[in-house]
Amino acid sequence: MMMMRIMKKFSISLGALLIGSLMSMQAAVGNNKYSNLLSGMGLEYEVNAGTSIGGASPLPLPAEIRHIDSYNPKLNLQIGATVTKWLDADKVWGAAVGVRLESRGMETKARVKNYGMEILDNQKKLSGRWTGSVHTKYQSQQLVFPVTAVFRAHPRLKINLGPYLAYAFSNDFNGYVYDGYLREGNPTGDKYVFEDDSKASYDFGSELRHFQWGMQTGVAWTAYRHLLVNANLTWGCNDIFKSSFKTVSFNLYPIYLNVGFGYLF
Amino acid sequence: MCLIAMSAVGCIQEEPLNAECDIITVILPGNVLNRAPRIDNDKVVLIVKNDVSLLALAPEFELTPGATISPASGTTLNFVFPQTYTVTSQDGKWSKRYTVEVQRNNTISLDYGFEHVRQIGALGGTCQYDEFYETGTAGNETLVWASANSAFSMTLQGSTPNTFPTYQGDGGVNGKCAVLVTRSTGSFGVRVGKPIAAGNLFIGNFDGTNALKNPLQATHFGTPFYNIPSTFSGYYKYTPGETYCEADADGNFVPVPGKVDMFNIYAVLFESVPDMEWLDGSNVLAADNPNIIATAEIPDRQASEEWVNFTVPFRFRDGKTIDPDKLAAGRYSITVVMSSSQDGDYFRGAIGSTLSVDELLITCLTDN
Repeated sequence: MMMMRIMKKFSISLGALLIGSLMSMQAAVGNNKYSNLLSGMGLEYEVNAGTSIGGASPLPLPAEIRHIDSYNPKLNLQIGATVTKWLDADKVWGAAVGVRLESRGMETKARVKNYGMEILDNQKKLSGRWTGSVHTKYQSQQLVFPVTAVFRAHPRLKINLGPYLAYAFSNDFNGYVYDGYLREGNPTGDKYVFEDDSKASYDFGSELRHFQWGMQTGVAWTAYRHLLVNANLTWGCNDIFKSSFKTVSFNLYPIYLNVGFGYLF
Repeated sequence: MCLIAMSAVGCIQEEPLNAECDIITVILPGNVLNRAPRIDNDKVVLIVKNDVSLLALAPEFELTPGATISPASGTTLNFVFPQTYTVTSQDGKWSKRYTVEVQRNNTISLDYGFEHVRQIGALGGTCQYDEFYETGTAGNETLVWASANSAFSMTLQGSTPNTFPTYQGDGGVNGKCAVLVTRSTGSFGVRVGKPIAAGNLFIGNFDGTNALKNPLQATHFGTPFYNIPSTFSGYYKYTPGETYCEADADGNFVPVPGKVDMFNIYAVLFESVPDMEWLDGSNVLAADNPNIIATAEIPDRQASEEWVNFTVPFRFRDGKTIDPDKLAAGRYSITVVMSSSQDGDYFRGAIGSTLSVDELLITCLTDN
């Protein structure tokens, strides 16, 4: 808890720092002193901000999910900085490391059949198989560290590809089930029908893992001298849940498309 | 890349085969049933007319789509003793054993001492509740009392039997007694708009499946009865809970100043007709229920820490009599109902209201 609070504080100040430096750099654009100095060392600095849409999805959709009634990607903001080291004089090949404060979220409503479910209360759990509607809200605040190879395909276009590590310092995964029935324990267990206003909430937030990793690939288009337009696809390679968590019987992978702008120094 | 991702995510797979293995309906060929079949999760009770032989019956089953049953539906078997069937799910991964019992001319015992309970495990064995049953002179089980304990388990508030709304207590008039307590249903109960569970015990059957959806209709009151009842007697103790509450207009469970909780104990004799085979919480005492023949109610119920003895007559409703042919054919049913909060089925009452009951007796005219 304490750790999370510190991380939250840290990330807020990181965000402020990035915005602050973006503004001060704006002021320095006039003489280009910094940019010339940096590019002389083969280094390129960028701050960026954007939004991402996507979700934590099983791949492929398991047979238990019968219909997606609604999907709301939510407004997920991100802010970050990237350092690129060009490895050759022509600046064709390079390597980049970055740090990004990112929120990931989604809200879905789905119809499921025989879906693992667990309702917790009073230190006890009512677990079993749910057939009916499930409402899910996922929200995670993460610090993401991508390490990518960069290739300049065109004077204005850079392509990146590489792994990322992410630390989630705030995690929520909750929702409720409604309009269906629960078989307690397994499909042969007692049947409890939830209809009309009856719903039962669940919260798997504490079962989400903090460390995630995955692959990132994307493009950056230099629209103006200092302005980049970025599009990155991040693809999580481990389940968002801890491996000890068995109730959701399939793995959920975070897959997000980030679109945003960057300022290149 | 994005397109690949979307296409991989977007496909709904073929529907999986059914994993459930339920008996949904039972048909007994010929007009031999006296009541609709009672189907629980692992038990079926068929009440047949008195002239039906139990030696050779061939029940037919409707199952969860795709499931199979062994012995096969329509197999002729001897039902003098209960038979066991196994239902296997369509996906072949799950199976369930059902006991199928055929009852005929079952005369229930008429005195109830609440000496016998068995513990039923729920939530994977993490909690246990009491189920009361009565035995006849030969030690055979003559009646299983119904209660809403099974539904209470899913509120996750229960652990040992005495944390449930209905359990066996010490210090009865003779031996043990039944104890009924109005309980909080915790945050789960609040979320589903059912903040309390009154202790209850009754003759009939509790339909736990629909208890959340339709609590008044989850209590199926009554069992066939072949006698003419005259009086209903027994002993009770009652302590109302401290704060009487009910749901306000916004659905919040709020105190009602000045109001004190009250229990109820009563017996009802009624005619079981095809469109109302059993009574439920919505009509069991209704003045306009045409199927009620007689009721035995305690007019002057009171809180008491000592045992209070009561004896009340079965009062026949205006114009109602017993038809001897219907009586012999098992068309009448009787129920005894107890609750620690008389309006508990409407979720009005005081948490902690405690009713103890012992030595109930139904006296019949034919006994004299």
